[in-house]
Amino acid sequence: MSEEIRIKINGQMHGFQLGRDLAPTTTLAFLLREKLGYTGLKVACDQGACGSCTVLLDGKAALSCMLLAVQADGHEIVTIEGLPKGDPVVEAFAQQCEPGYGTALQCGICTPGFVMSATALLDEKPAPTLPEIKEALSGHICRCGCYAGIAQAVQHAAEKRAEIRAETRAETRAETRAETRAETRAETRAETRAEKGSKS
Amino acid sequence: MKKPYSPRTPRKFIGAYRPRIEGLEKASGKVKFVDDLTIKSRYSNMLYAKVLRSPHAHARIRKMDVSRARALAGVHAVMTYQDPEFSSLKPTSAGWTDGVDTVSYDRMMWRHFRDRRVLGDYARWVTDEVGAVVAAESEEIAEEALKLIEVDWEVLPFVLDPLEAMKPGAPSVHPEISPSNILPKDEVGGSDVFVDRGNIDKAFAEADAVVEGTSIHHNATQASLDNWCCLVDWTDEQLTVVSNSYEADQSRMHISEMLDLPLHKVRIISSYVGGQFGRGDTGDQPFFLFTALLSKKTGRPVKFRHSRRESFHDSRQPAIYFGKLGAKRDGTITGMYFKSVGNSGAYADHTVFALKFAPTEITEVALAHIPNIKMESYGVYTNMLPACMMRGVGNSQFNLIFGHVVDMLAEKLGMDPIELALKNFGHEWGSLPDKSLTEVLKQGAERIGWREKRHLPGQGPIHDRTKRRGVGFSFHPAWHAEWQEVRRGLITVGITVNADGTVMLEAPTVETGTGSNTCNVLGCAEALAFLGVTPEQISWSPVVDTQTSLKDCVQTDSAVSFLQAEVMAHAADEVRKQVLEKAALILKTKPSELEIDKGRISYKAEPNRNLTLRELFYQGDLAPVVVRIGKTPNSERTGVPYIANFSEVEVDTETGRVQVLKMIVLNDCGTVMFASGAEGQQLGGQVMGMGEALTEEIIYDQATGIPLNFNWIDYKIPTMADMPDIDPVLLEVWKGAGEYGACGIGEGTVTCTPRSVLNAIYNAIGVRIDDIPIKPEKVLRALGKA
Repeated sequence: MSEEIRIKINGQMHGFQLGRDLAPTTTLAFLLREKLGYTGLKVACDQGACGSCTVLLDGKAALSCMLLAVQADGHEIVTIEGLPKGDPVVEAFAQQCEPGYGTALQCGICTPGFVMSATALLDEKPAPTLPEIKEALSGHICRCGCYAGIAQAVQHAAEKRAEIRAETRAETRAETRAETRAETRAETRAETRAEKGSKS
Repeated sequence: MKKPYSPRTPRKFIGAYRPRIEGLEKASGKVKFVDDLTIKSRYSNMLYAKVLRSPHAHARIRKMDVSRARALAGVHAVMTYQDPEFSSLKPTSAGWTDGVDTVSYDRMMWRHFRDRRVLGDYARWVTDEVGAVVAAESEEIAEEALKLIEVDWEVLPFVLDPLEAMKPGAPSVHPEISPSNILPKDEVGGSDVFVDRGNIDKAFAEADAVVEGTSIHHNATQASLDNWCCLVDWTDEQLTVVSNSYEADQSRMHISEMLDLPLHKVRIISSYVGGQFGRGDTGDQPFFLFTALLSKKTGRPVKFRHSRRESFHDSRQPAIYFGKLGAKRDGTITGMYFKSVGNSGAYADHTVFALKFAPTEITEVALAHIPNIKMESYGVYTNMLPACMMRGVGNSQFNLIFGHVVDMLAEKLGMDPIELALKNFGHEWGSLPDKSLTEVLKQGAERIGWREKRHLPGQGPIHDRTKRRGVGFSFHPAWHAEWQEVRRGLITVGITVNADGTVMLEAPTVETGTGSNTCNVLGCAEALAFLGVTPEQISWSPVVDTQTSLKDCVQTDSAVSFLQAEVMAHAADEVRKQVLEKAALILKTKPSELEIDKGRISYKAEPNRNLTLRELFYQGDLAPVVVRIGKTPNSERTGVPYIANFSEVEVDTETGRVQVLKMIVLNDCGTVMFASGAEGQQLGGQVMGMGEALTEEIIYDQATGIPLNFNWIDYKIPTMADMPDIDPVLLEVWKGAGEYGACGIGEGTVTCTPRSVLNAIYNAIGVRIDDIPIKPEKVLRALGKA
């Protein structure tokens, strides 16, 4: 007896035969890292205490070491490899150097997990307060202790995402206006032609 | 926005607030750690190793039957302590090196305590690697095979408490080295009384004030997220190890010496490591050897990695310190006495470094003006997790007593402890008050609000009905300045100037998160300012490979960042000379006719006749200029600067909960090499230090010796929600030898934190609690409420 497990990972649909490709006990973290090579997520504590294996499951932060692969059947997973190039959260973590807060990463092994949780937080709350950031990321351990820099990075990422949203809105408005103008011109021309036609 | 530091000497790149060079690679998850580099899909024929671990605190294997394990499908090899490959190996030490350099078996630092067998028959703590190793198709199969091994254990009485272990008749952990469990005198550490200056008895007898106190530092563990992991391929003549050891060259020496292979047949590859913090000493872990022997036996590459539980493999050494100070009425300290008992756990490793070597250094760099000092120490074997380095070696433990007795003496004399410190402490080559100490304490006091917030112990206002607040501080001499790194010997860097003017830097060291790589690149750009290169035009390789790399500068002592930068400053003259020689060859002139500035080569006589390096070199043979040059650290005895921590805490007298409200961490760096990285170290050190002060502790079942919290749910590491606002303060007051005269800061950031918090708790509640971590039950007991 075999059953197919279907998981959308980073936008691509994958099918796995239970028994052949994975066991009922295979964790999602094992499947993603060891079978599919998504090594951005890490297995450091293997018991849901450190957050370094965090991925997005249907847009929410989830601990992949605490989920069985079969539980992801029919769901959508995004790993850090699935974030777009130039992602504002990734860039904010990379660039944090505002004086007084250090960097947002040192050894970097916990960073992908923090980035995924921060992404889920900003999707839900586009402008989180410092206590909200602390609460949302308190399931993660950074042993290098970059918490102050991470909080800054998340705030900077929120600002950057807000700018991108504002630009997108402005572009959409501009496009809409341009379309409206074009339509109006076309209508006017049609009307003029019609008028001309009726005249002739 | 917080206030940036002001550099003493303006520089172009060194000291910058800027991102780390590999920030984007790490933030995007692209950086590969060793576990990522060695996933099964990259090594299709790889096997996994597991080692049998003792379930008993103290036991000997009488006999063992591995036949069922061997018969399990998927098992490729089971090797035991009786196999000649193991029984013929020399005893070794996981404190092989002095922590900073490559040494041979004969020259290992703690050669008196070669107390480890690679797979012996004698278990000295619950979890000890003994008896048998397995190589199998998967970790699950290997685990299953271990369960099928039948072991006849001779269970022996055990001892966990070092004071009990010192008593006559206690179970002997290493009868072959010390039947009494007390580590014997050795050449490096010296006798039990290892410092005896002046006449301490007379000093105390004549003192106007004498105080004495105790402090107890429990086990805390390094807890790097990157569990130990290695892949060993010994399927042909060459033995190759890919691992997250942070000392490639020493790993090579260790394997060469233990397995009797010439150095060129051992290849060690290390790349990014996910945190180190002194974990597991150096490259000398026995598991490299049994993984290698399994690879040879099976003819397949073999991977060995720790689970989180197994990564509780090393710890900060627990130490019980007694301290006594004597002083004149005006606060002049006339006598100091310290006695310590260190719990080395099952193996000695660097015990004596922590207990004797580090405190001896402190007598030179902080206690130089105290006329009478006596220090004695006892390292004691017990049946606990081995213990040694963790972000420093011995300094945190010493600071816990040092800051304690200084605070007590100030109280007894009715002095401000800051005034007492400035009156007495400084290094051997300086005068009092020490300029560096003055500045760190002055700035710390201002920023925490020392004058306004400090009150008589336990006499401050009550907040929210049950809460009391207090402030405290502690300070310590920093380490390591360049003169303390002379033991490293030659440090070599390589600079390749390409024909287009870009630079490839060889500054090999294993990047464990310290940021020394960014310091390297900034130092290189600074040194090569005449080439006009920017940090972005310099490449740096994260891979250390003993087959192709220069010898790595060991990522320890927090010193790599400035040691390699000093060598680059030294190398710059040679680079300039060779670039001008090459330019002269192309221009058919003499090098002495030419000069170079900001990347433009010109004739001295006609400055307007100039070309960029690229324009010129593209007319030549296009071969790069390659300079590989070494330098030993400058031995000029410059003393060291100071570090300090100031804390404000709030103690709930009903629940016993301690909350840190604010911290100031101050480091006199000599020269700040990379400000954002240095701040990262300062802030991170407070997370670790606060964990040690309040929550982190390994707990054992006293009846069985079984550790109860080898996991991150019950071993409490602070998270973001636990941390207060922290001000990192970078200073440049002291200066060592060389271009930058900097000093390592990473380890030191954690040293003063527990004592600072403890002194603040005393100021809040008026009762001293002597042992960390300060959990709520201890506070309630101290207040007579539990």
